[in-house]
Parts: sequence; structure tokens; C-alpha cells
Amino acid sequence: MLLAVLIANSEGNILVERFNGVPAEERLHWRSFLVKLGADNLRGVKNEELLVANHKSVYIVYTVLGDVSIFVVGKDEYDELAYPPMGAWPISRNGSVAETIFVITSALKDVCGKPPTERLFLDKYGKICLCLDEIVWKGLLENTDKDRIKRLIRLKPPTEF
Amino acid sequence: MAQPLVKKDDDRDDEVDYSPFLGIEKGAVLQEARVFNDPQLDTRRCSQVITKLLYLLNQGETLTKVEATEVFFAVTKLFQSKDIGLRRMVYLMIKELSPSADEVIIVTSSLMKDMNSRTDMYRANAIRVLCRITDGTLLTQIERYLKQAIVDKSPVVASAALVSGIHLLQTNPEIVKRWSNEVQEAVQSRAALVQFHALALLHQIRQNDRLAVNKLVTSLTKGSIRSPLAQCLLIRYTSQVIRESGVNPQTGDRPFYDYLEGCLRHKAEMVIYEAAKAITELSNVTARELTPAITVLQLFLSSSKPVLRFAAVRTLNKVAMTHPMAVTNCNIDMESLISDQNRSIATLAITTLLKTGNESSVDRLMKQITNFMSDIADEFKIVVVEAIRSLCLKFPLKYRSLMNFLSNILREEGGFEYKKAIVDSIVILIRDIPDAKESGLLHLCEFIEDCEFTYLSTQILHFLGNEGPKTSDPSKYIRYIYNRVILENATVRASAVSTLAKFGALVDPLKPRIFVLLRRCLFDNDDEVRDRATLYLNTLGDGSVTETDKAVKEFLFGSLDIPLTNLETSLKNYLRDPAEEPFDLYSVPKEVKSQSFAEKKAPSKKPTGLSAQPAAPTSAPDAYERLLSSIPEFASFGKLFKSSAPVELTEAETEYAVNVVKHIFDRHVVFQYNCTNTIPEQCLENVTVIVDASEAEEFAEVGTKPLKSLPYDTPAQTFVAFEKPEGVPAVGKFSNVLRFTVKEVDPSTGEAEDDGVEDEYQLEDFEVVAADYILKLGVSNFKNAWENMDPASERVDEYGLGPRESLAEAVNAVIILLGMHPCEGTEVVPSNSRSHTCLLSGVYIGNVKVLVRLSFGIDGTKEVAMKLAVRSEDESVSEAIHEIVASG
Repeated sequence: MLLAVLIANSEGNILVERFNGVPAEERLHWRSFLVKLGADNLRGVKNEELLVANHKSVYIVYTVLGDVSIFVVGKDEYDELAYPPMGAWPISRNGSVAETIFVITSALKDVCGKPPTERLFLDKYGKICLCLDEIVWKGLLENTDKDRIKRLIRLKPPTEF
Repeated sequence: MAQPLVKKDDDRDDEVDYSPFLGIEKGAVLQEARVFNDPQLDTRRCSQVITKLLYLLNQGETLTKVEATEVFFAVTKLFQSKDIGLRRMVYLMIKELSPSADEVIIVTSSLMKDMNSRTDMYRANAIRVLCRITDGTLLTQIERYLKQAIVDKSPVVASAALVSGIHLLQTNPEIVKRWSNEVQEAVQSRAALVQFHALALLHQIRQNDRLAVNKLVTSLTKGSIRSPLAQCLLIRYTSQVIRESGVNPQTGDRPFYDYLEGCLRHKAEMVIYEAAKAITELSNVTARELTPAITVLQLFLSSSKPVLRFAAVRTLNKVAMTHPMAVTNCNIDMESLISDQNRSIATLAITTLLKTGNESSVDRLMKQITNFMSDIADEFKIVVVEAIRSLCLKFPLKYRSLMNFLSNILREEGGFEYKKAIVDSIVILIRDIPDAKESGLLHLCEFIEDCEFTYLSTQILHFLGNEGPKTSDPSKYIRYIYNRVILENATVRASAVSTLAKFGALVDPLKPRIFVLLRRCLFDNDDEVRDRATLYLNTLGDGSVTETDKAVKEFLFGSLDIPLTNLETSLKNYLRDPAEEPFDLYSVPKEVKSQSFAEKKAPSKKPTGLSAQPAAPTSAPDAYERLLSSIPEFASFGKLFKSSAPVELTEAETEYAVNVVKHIFDRHVVFQYNCTNTIPEQCLENVTVIVDASEAEEFAEVGTKPLKSLPYDTPAQTFVAFEKPEGVPAVGKFSNVLRFTVKEVDPSTGEAEDDGVEDEYQLEDFEVVAADYILKLGVSNFKNAWENMDPASERVDEYGLGPRESLAEAVNAVIILLGMHPCEGTEVVPSNSRSHTCLLSGVYIGNVKVLVRLSFGIDGTKEVAMKLAVRSEDESVSEAIHEIVASG
């Protein structure tokens, strides 16, 4: 299950947050935990360099893209390959949480045309919401191909199956 | 040329200063949402307003019930527009608003219309939205369409319906289960994604039916799956079936293994990897089965994709834990991964190599690791340190280079956990490899000269006090220890004082000098340090009170003999209701409750299968003692010596579950039968166990305590007590029959009928064995304890144990036979070793301490010989231990 996808600006203000199966009272806790995690570790990190952390039984993969930082939280089947479960450490692109964040970053770049500034991100906000809707459906990763997503958000049938 | 540049800069300024959502307010946006009601829809503006609403919702803003309803109704109006972009936004908005049941009805018709639209994408999206917002009653209405959609010829539509099915299965399983025919058809679809989704749904529908899953796997492995993703799923389901069915006992073949092996030649990498992983995870996998999987993983090691390298090395690392020899072929590829840019891959490669490497490659490996250590994080370093420790235990001759490595990394920067791991490793190496002792102790001394962790300093000082005096030149350690008294904080100073005293007690030539140093400590500004110095000066003979030499050593080196956790619980209990009399140290139970050291260190050695018995509650001995003393019939039996772990007397999942706990007293044994009734329609009354002790001649039954009533699922106990000769470890076999009156119970009211029928239920036999008369009790320092025991009590003899599977198996058998506590991790036998020494300690009935030293040897024909040396406080007990072994 992908518990949360959260996108924040460089000051830690939330731009997008989508939770799945997280009770409302725990959301605030997650939000502040993730923002702090970003503030502690994301300074000086290159675009799309993935960091991993784990908190209790859930795994968090996070990264920076332009002015925004992206966090994906997963558990159960969405942790398997997000090894190692310790501290912050760049890992290769693998595993489900990492896979999800990779899809999100590539879709963002596709929509914005480049790593987005905060302004650009907000300008494309509607499209970005649609992309996220296609990528994560009720906590499960669904579409992973950026061209396919691009067609789907314009209600065009995908070219291949 | 300059003009556009300037302009661009202006643009960027704009970007920084202005956000399209600057000053956005919920109220204003809700006002704006009225444009949805305009007769002439401005689609662009509508899209913008929806974006703003999404922005608000994504910021964590919530709409009140009234607001949400209003927006929802307005949004439904947008179905009039034919604009595709807007329609997509509308779908998303409805999902975000998740309207309540009474509102859903408003959009249902619009969505149903879209569901039957000619445009595939309308159909697909409408299905998703409907399934997201639907409830059970609505679902039955649209079920017909969904079934149709599953077999729709457009893959987008079919996938949408299948994925919706996967989600709906959580909330409305009985409806989704009715779709199985359609789903089965979809599994045969030509579209890869549809096949994948259909297979996932089909398996979820049938997952609780083992036979159906088995059939599914059998039919699909014959080869109708084209999609690589679906193939991966099928491999997972197949390994699940293999796990449940086991190996064919006649041919030794594993069902479906050929399928898995075939997948290793698939063209998609993900399928190859999934199959290789499945093979390596088979239970009791043989070397022959492993080989093809290892070969493909080896190829992945040199892949250009980091994902594949990572996956392969991680899997091989796991295999190396159980089958190190199978992985050795990959060593060369693995060595090149040490310099891999991705540090996760490099760490895994190193730890794998450390597990599979042979003696000749150690030095080369260490050189490579040294370069690597500087640029990884502490967590990885700990993994490496632990791997090096086990390598050193495997190849004791290589201790020099490994110990040097450890001392070098000890000097470098690092956090507490990392340093602790290194110190622990050095301590273990010193303990297990006598040659490494002196150099190891000096490394530790140098470390405490500049150690920022109080905990580690005190631990090392304690260890130094025990080991340092026995080295060839104890005086060289004094400088390091006394430096602590001058330079460190109070806690470390106090430990240093104790360590100095230990040197003084054991090394007579050093005594006068130690007194000088201890006297200086009398002026310390900390109470504890001064108190310790005074105490030790007096006990060692500098003051007025002089103790005997033996008493001094007992005081300094003897252990408390009581597990600290037990002491802590007892003290807490004492403080909770303080009594008149002072706390009695001897009232603390001595039974070791927690896992032993080695079990914690080597969790992989213990099978943690489903068959593992649930552990007894941690405070079992206390609870047993209270329980037994509360029964008047048994109150006169005196103090409880030992309670065994529960022995199951019934198979799992039978009508009645019964296990027995054997309680040993000086002159009695009490069997406590824990019974559970697992039939809801029955209540048992007057439950007793009829024990036949004809094969236990020294036991005579003295009483039983029947159980009045045993309702469904409420465990309760019945007891049977026997008398036996005092202090004698009488053994024997007991057969048991459960006797009771069974009464029918009406499950709806829970009331039992008045009339019952007498019935019996055969239970398994069990034995009282010699180990039941020995308490597990650890000693902190076996060597000291052994030397302090009277050598005259020692009894030594040799035994042939016959051919054994392995040395470890023989060692384990003797430990179980004696039921004593293995000390200092000596129950772990390094693989391939030809000889082993195991140290055991315990308390024999009558509160007699016993220590056992076992030396094992195995020859080429797997014949095991054992030398058994016993020391105890009572010679007859030493002999009794020999009798147990001789008759075992």
C-alpha cells in the first residue's frame, strides 16, 4: 500500500498531499515528520537523487526535483526492494516505492518540460493532479509510463498494452 | 541580443514573486465555483476553478458537509460540456469529493451514460469513478455493466473494470466473487496489462481455496501467459503452492520446479529475476536446484543496470547465509562490485564475500575493504564489522590481519553503535582465540585513552579487570587504567577503581603499587569513587579488616548468580508492597527466562517455522509458584524447584488441546495439565487426567485436583501430584487419558444442557527426565567459577556418542539431555570444525551448583567422542551427572 504521496516547496510548505488509508488524525503527524525529514537531509541533494528512510514498518523514498521535494511513503508490498532500511542513503532506482517516485518525477518533468520551479509547478497544478491520479490509484501504483500517462490525462486511449 | 536576455531575467523574477494561488481563500473559490451553473459554460475557467479546489483539498483544507454537497452538485452540471479536458477534471473532482450515499444517486445516471459511451476512455474513467464512490446496493445495479466491461475488447476498459474489482473485493467480496467466469476469460486476453490485472484479481478471489489456487497454477504454468508482469505474479503464486505441497517423497522431485527453471530462460529480465529469487527461497533447496538460479544471478551482477546488480547481489547475499558454497562461483564478479558507485551494492557485495571467501583470499579482501570503509555510513560499517567477526571465528589463523583491521577502524570517527560493534567483536575474538588476547587487550586500552562513550569505557575496564591480570605482563595495563582515574568522569573513574582492585587481588607483586594508587582515589570528589576505593583497600588487606584470599576473589570476581531481570522484577514487587522483613536475595528466582546470548546473535540458526511452539509467558515461574501455592493440597510440598516448558499432549487442531507442565519439588512432582476446549457446541465438566505410572516405578500418586468446568475456548488446568524419593532424580514414563462429562451447549444462548455423557480422550505419553531436575543458571565468568569450585569434586570420563550427523547436532543433544545453561555462547559450533568445547552451568535439585565442561571430537567417519568433566558443590552430584550421560 502506498500510504502517502506528498510534494512540498523548498520551505516545507505542502503543495500536494494525497493519503491512502491514513486516519485523519495521523496525517498531521506524517506531514510534519516528512517535512522535517526533508529539511534534515535534502539540502545539497542533486535532482532525482533518491534517499530512503524507514519509520516503524513503513518505507519512505524522497527526492528533490527543481524547487519541490517529493516524498512517497509505502508499506507491505511497497517496501520490498527499498533496501536498505536504515538511515538516509542514495539508492538505485528499484523497488516499488522507488519505482513510484521515479514515475512521479518523470511525469512532473514531462508536464513542466523541465525540473519545475515552484511557480511552474503551481501553473501546471491541474495537470499534475491528473497525473498523480493516473499513477497512484487508491494506494496502488498503476500507470508507470510517462507517455501513457500523458495520453491518459487527455482522455486519449494509450497506444499499447 | 541583450534585450531578450534581460527580458528572460524579468520573467524569472516574476516566477519567484508570484504564485497563481497567492492569497487563495476557500470562501472565494466556492463563490467562483458558481460558474459551473452558468448556462453557457466557460470550460477554461471551469478547469481553473477545479484546479483551485484541488489545490485547497491537497493542502489539507476540508469542506464542510454543506459546502461539499454544493460543490458536488455544481460539478455534476459540468457533464453537459463536451470538452474532454474538463471531463477528465470532473472525474477527478468527483473522486476527490467522495460524495455520500444519498448524493451519489445524482451522478449515477451521468456516469452510467458515460459507461455506455462509444468513447473507450469515457467508459474506462466512468467505471473507475463509479467504483470509487459506489456502495453495495448501487454496485448490484451496475454489476451487469462491470461484468461486461471486464471482457470489453478495449483494454483500457477491461483494465479499469479489473482494477476496480481488486479494490471492491475489500468492501464487497461476495459480489466480486460472482465475476470469476469473466475474469477467467480476461486472463486469456491478448493485452498484457489486462492479463496481469485479471490474474491478480482471480488469485485474490480464490486465495483462500488452496485447491483452486493449485488448479490455477497448474493450468497457467502450461504456458498461456504472455505478459511479463503476469508471469511474475504466476511465479509468486507457484512458489506459494510449492511451499504448501512440499517435495514428492518417492521421486524427490519438487512440483513445478521445471516451470521455475524454464522461466530462467524467459526474455524479460523481471521474469528471470523473479524465478531465480523463487528458487533460492525454496525450503531445503538442494545445490542442484540452486545452480541454474545462481548462474543467471551471476550474469545480472555485471549488468549495466544498477537495479539488476542490486537485486542480484541482495539475493546472493541471502543465499550465502545458508548455502555459502553455492555462491563461491560468483566471487570474482562480486569483487568487482566492491568499487560500485552505489554503496548499497558495494556493502552487500562485501558482506557476501566475507561469508563465502576462503582463507587465502582474506588478506586481499581486507585491503579492498579498508579503502571502502571510509566512505560508507555507520549502519553499513556495522554490517561489515559483524561479517568480519564471523569470518575471524571461521579462520582463527587470520586473527592478526582481522584484529589489526578492527583496531584501525576503532581509531577512526564513528558513532556509538558502530564503536560498540567493534568493541564487542574484539572482545569475542579475545575470548575465542587465545593468541589474540594480548594484542586485543592493548587495542582496547588504546581505545579507552580517547573514548567519548562512558558505556564502552566501563565495559572495557570491566573486561580488562577480568582478563588483564592473567596475561604475561599485567603491569603494562595499569597505566591505562589509572589514566582513567585522572582524566575521566565519575562513572568511568569508579569502574577504573574496581579494575585496579582486581589487578591487586590477582597479581601479588603489583599489590603494593595498587595500594598507592587506590589511596590516591580516597581524595576523589565523587562519593562512589571514594567508597569503592575504601572498600577495596579494606578487603585487599590494607586496612583493619582483612578477608581471606578466597573470599576476596569471590567478592571481586564472583557473579551475582541471579539474572538481573529477575532481580529487577523481584525488587519492584518488593517495593510495591513493602514487608516488615528485609529483602531476601535468595528469594529471587534463578531460572533464566530470556533467550540465551547465542540465540540472539544467530537467529538464522533456529528454524522459525510455523511449528515453533508459542513461548511461555515471561513471568511463568513466578506465576506457577503463585498458582501452586494457592492450591491447599500442594501447599505442603515446600518450595518449587523447577517448572518445565509445556509439553504438548495433543496434535494441533484437535477437539481438545492439552499440554502438561512438570513442576518439580523436593519430594513431589506435580503435573499441571493445561486444557482448552475448541468445540463451541460443548462444555466439559469434571475434567480429570487419569495417569498410568506403571512405567515410573519410583512415583506414587498422592492426589488430583479435577477441573469443574471447561467451557469453549477458555483454557483451564487440572493437576495430578506424585510422591517420589527425596533428592533423587527419579525418571519414568507416564501415559494419560483425559476423562470428563460432556454437555451440549446451545451456541446462541451459551447455556449448557442439564444431562451430560461421560467420555474419555486419549492423550500422548510424556516422560520425566533427568534434565527436569536441573535448573538452567548462567554464570558470567565460567573460568572463574570453575576455578573456584573444589577440584576434588571433579569427575572426568570419556564417552563415545556413536556416528552423528554433525558435531553441532551431538553438542545440542547433550545440552538437551542435561538441560543445563550453555555459557559464553559455547553452544554454537563453527561449521566444519573437528573439535569443540562446550561449557554448561546449572543447579541440581537440592540447590547444588554444577559446572560441566564438554570436549567433543569428530573423526572422518562422523564418530563423535566426548570428554565430560563435572565439578559441583557436592561430589555425588558430579557422579549423578555422569550417570545421566551414561544412561542417556
